[in-house]
Amino acid sequence: MKKIISLLLLLLLISPAYAGLAEMNAIQQRIDSIGTRILNFNKIPKRIIFTYSEETKAEWLGKYHELKSRQIIVYDELYQFTQTDDEIAAMLSREIATVLKSYSGMWGGSIDAIQVALSSKKFETVADKRAVDYMVKAGYNPLALIVFINKTYPQKRQDVIARHNLTSKRLARIYEYITYKYPEYLQDTEYINNQYYQNFLLNSLENRRKLEEKIKMHSTGEVHYE
Amino acid sequence: MNKLTALFLLFLFTCKACYCETLPYNFYDTFCIPITLSITEEISTKDNIYEGQSVQFKVRKNVRHNGQSILKSGDVINAKIETIVTSGMNGFPAEIIIDDFQIPGICNSQLISTYNKKGQNRCLWVYPLKWSLTLIPFAGSLTNLIKGGHAKIRPKDIVTIYYYPNWKEDKDLCIEDIKNENGTSLSE
Repeated sequence: MKKIISLLLLLLLISPAYAGLAEMNAIQQRIDSIGTRILNFNKIPKRIIFTYSEETKAEWLGKYHELKSRQIIVYDELYQFTQTDDEIAAMLSREIATVLKSYSGMWGGSIDAIQVALSSKKFETVADKRAVDYMVKAGYNPLALIVFINKTYPQKRQDVIARHNLTSKRLARIYEYITYKYPEYLQDTEYINNQYYQNFLLNSLENRRKLEEKIKMHSTGEVHYE
Repeated sequence: MNKLTALFLLFLFTCKACYCETLPYNFYDTFCIPITLSITEEISTKDNIYEGQSVQFKVRKNVRHNGQSILKSGDVINAKIETIVTSGMNGFPAEIIIDDFQIPGICNSQLISTYNKKGQNRCLWVYPLKWSLTLIPFAGSLTNLIKGGHAKIRPKDIVTIYYYPNWKEDKDLCIEDIKNENGTSLSE
């Protein structure tokens, strides 16, 4: 009887730890699978690895893993916002676009990597646009990028003295990019019935009106989104 | 009954291992044919260009594979402007990324074709200047006014894309062979 009880206690102690490990392994496997699919379908001939971490992203030290060691770290704080494979693909595609920048240019890409780190606002828009292309080529719905950003990033008051664009501006630019390049996705019934996407449509009324005006005027200039 | 259960369990364990997904690509083969191109008309980030805009390239040299002509010098193929990066503060250069080359008779899945061209990168001297000017209050911020160079693709620029004939063909990404007026295909 004692043996059975001690075995049961041992099992109780081990099983939660194992369950946690198994869960982490499943997440890692999911991230690897989606990330590699994006790399292969886009025929990206560079090495990039994906690592899931339960830690919180450091603000300054060790911030640019993607630029230094071409390693995309998916932090738990971001992963928790993703519900579908499309949304994980959105998160990874953005990072892949950033990593690829560190592979081009002088000194093994060091100069370009510094530029990306210093001009983060500028490159944020580029990464968003490239992410849309990567997602489409890998068979994911680019509207998931809008959903992911809409759920994840807060709305600051201004971006004049800031290192990042206003989230509403980012979303509007992504929407514009999809409107011009992949308009077929805008009619996707899956996302028409997605409450998070509908929330974006609601909070971007003014910006979308500006885009409609641009389309109507056949203008190629930049729209000043809010 | 036990045998049946054992068989069922065995089936459950092995069926996943037997299931083998066939990927739509296979990058095993390293043989590739470079295709050299040049743009027919100069484009620049200074001009009114937009993402998704179609641009045309001229084939510079004949391209042959297995004794067959794939492309002839002077043939025109279409591509698209994928992304435009405008020039930014502190000498950040503009950039044009071109992809989606449409070659008759060749699948896009058999091409490695992303081409990008950057403008003049002025960050190399702007940042040292900025940091040296920071000794004077607010003077460092003046370098924000210096923008990077515009990206231009001129007809004299050589654009090389790579065709991997032995890679898998994704039929959805194939461009049908365009026939000429006399019925012969463009790639013949």
